[in-house]
Amino acid sequence: MDIKEKLNILENILDIEQDTLREETVLDQLTEWDSIASITTIAMFDSMFKKEITPEEVKGFKRVKDITDKMG
Amino acid sequence: MATGILKDVEIKGIACAVPDHIVRNEEYNEVFGEESVRKFINMTGVETRYVALDEQCTSDLCHAAATRLLEKLSWEPSSVDALILITQTPDYAVPSSACVLQHRLGLSEDCIAFDVNLGCSAYVYGIWLAATMISTQDLNRVILLVGDTSNYGINQNDSATAMIFGDGGSATALERTAGKDIKYFLKTKGSGYRNIIVPAGHARSRSRKDVAESEYELSMDGSNIFSFTITDVPRTIESFMSKYNIGRNDVDMYVFHQANRFILRHLAKKLNLPMDKVPLSIERYGNTSGESIPVTLVDALGNEEASGPLKLFLCGFGIGLSWGGIYLEMDKSVCLPMIYTNDYYKEG
Repeated sequence: MDIKEKLNILENILDIEQDTLREETVLDQLTEWDSIASITTIAMFDSMFKKEITPEEVKGFKRVKDITDKMG
Repeated sequence: MATGILKDVEIKGIACAVPDHIVRNEEYNEVFGEESVRKFINMTGVETRYVALDEQCTSDLCHAAATRLLEKLSWEPSSVDALILITQTPDYAVPSSACVLQHRLGLSEDCIAFDVNLGCSAYVYGIWLAATMISTQDLNRVILLVGDTSNYGINQNDSATAMIFGDGGSATALERTAGKDIKYFLKTKGSGYRNIIVPAGHARSRSRKDVAESEYELSMDGSNIFSFTITDVPRTIESFMSKYNIGRNDVDMYVFHQANRFILRHLAKKLNLPMDKVPLSIERYGNTSGESIPVTLVDALGNEEASGPLKLFLCGFGIGLSWGGIYLEMDKSVCLPMIYTNDYYKEG
């Protein structure tokens, strides 16, 4: 999976316009990065990447790149 | 895992009552903004809920359900051996609301009556408890009441809790029946007790002088609860099904605690369950706490005129953290139509 596909998945679950996210984007600067996003991120890793991540790991994500790196 | 088979016991009837007062979550557009409300509805599925009047208690809703159930089954009140009420919103700090309901329902003084404090897992624990009393004791008829008026004490400015809960009460009749059994599992993970909690108002905070107003309100950690629900819960279900050799096709309907629609869809997907076997009531009734399983059953089957056996897997999970599941067979016709009521008990 290339970086564009990973970003598109993230844009989709965060309800953000496609092709607008960048890896260096700081998550706390996104209004969409809220408590619901934390849940949908855990769900995304579970269903699409077969990875069980904890809420603490989600809190540890500072930039979009931290999420795309975790996708593998 | 605590698991086993309770023999010679069957569910004979289920009734549910909700307040005759509907609240549409769109009404919160002005409080939280249209976009936030839309996002909340998309995630949770909750569009409408039934909310109790200030005077209306859990016991009133359970009373309405139990009264209709006893009538329908033609059970004499004196024939009921035990009354169990599971609620987190009792009428009083003390005494048990079950004692008040034993009186209001005209049950015998020989009737066992007590309250239990559980929420999301209440129905499964309650069925286990009632069935255990029949299966292992010399009791024939038990009425299980599960209900909550969860909207009481909710901060109307907290978007995480203000729009999610529906109020309701249920009554389930269990009776000794030769040849029928109920398989169960029950689990507890108390390390997560702070994930859903009302921190103040009881003994733990009584010596503190600095209790904030918000500590009297329900607080939920959505991420931790979600994480628990998609890891611990499906793992336990898989091992339960495997232990008793229950295949996917051995179940006609999987009825889960109606936590929120996103969680339920994810859970179903993870367990490879088709959504047409997973009924939802959360869109119309909200998260109805411990009674959400009977509310969903009544919503799906309450107007069913046909009879015939139905194999069910019921599963509750959440506050505690506590979870459990039961596998049983019951007749399609045992659920009564939903009751809508604004009646409440006038003391004195």
